[in-house]
Amino acid sequence: MSAYELVDELPSGPARAAAWAAYALTTYADKLAAAAGRSDVVAEAYARASACLDAAAAGGGPLPAGLPHWHTPVRSREQLRGMRDALDTLRTYLAYELHDEHAPQLARIDAQLARADELWIDRPPDEIRGAIGSALAIGLDEAYALGRRLMTTA
Amino acid sequence: MGLFRPARTVTGPHGEYWELYVSKTALPAWREGKPGRFEDGTGDPRGDLLELPFMLVSAVWGMLVEPLLRFLVLLPVSFVRGRRSRAIRIEAVNGFPHREVYLWTTTDDGVERVLDEIASGLAAGRFVQPEGAVYSGREP
Repeated sequence: MSAYELVDELPSGPARAAAWAAYALTTYADKLAAAAGRSDVVAEAYARASACLDAAAAGGGPLPAGLPHWHTPVRSREQLRGMRDALDTLRTYLAYELHDEHAPQLARIDAQLARADELWIDRPPDEIRGAIGSALAIGLDEAYALGRRLMTTA
Repeated sequence: MGLFRPARTVTGPHGEYWELYVSKTALPAWREGKPGRFEDGTGDPRGDLLELPFMLVSAVWGMLVEPLLRFLVLLPVSFVRGRRSRAIRIEAVNGFPHREVYLWTTTDDGVERVLDEIASGLAAGRFVQPEGAVYSGREP
């Protein structure tokens, strides 16, 4: 069973938290790969997702602290597009889980999306691409952490 | 908006004078080349004297001609790149006692608001980080 299906199948608890981690990592890797092709971050995300699926199958276990991060500060436009798509997808899932499109728990994610939106222009220079990438990375980490909390206790 | 005329002038709380420049063009950096190595000399005073003109030419080439050529070649590229982008650079320049330049980057949607916030911040002695802008700090 894929991470996309497993997170919908399990009841709340450690196993579902692991399934969420696998889902978030797989989504991140898929969106990045679709937008910008393979990279070290994509490979690392898939590897972590696989470990999380194993943890979910075992009923829970140690999970990665977050999504894999880049080792350079400035992202390409394609990478930003992939990060943005991944964050939108994770946010949609979390809003559905919370039964509220504007739940207060989403505020920190929305703040980072708003920051990225404000700066999102065609042909952004390095300074702006760096800031957008930073906002999206923070938003993705917030989404990953919120999902882990929700899937454990909801 | 222009490279040579400030969009705002601001006086800070301690009398420091700031000029805020708004532009779409990031001018190419002035990078001096490396002059040839003549510092070891030949050991012969007459030989060293003969090398003097070459040292001068090399120094002028490395410090002026080469960086100027590089600047002139890259300038049209920078200009076209700036025209095609919606990014706006805001530079705060203070010329005394030492020249300092601080950079913010924003988009053309928010430039007036960001400029106002930066000017207000400098008037209060602060480097603000307005929403919708990226503060890059002091330029090298």
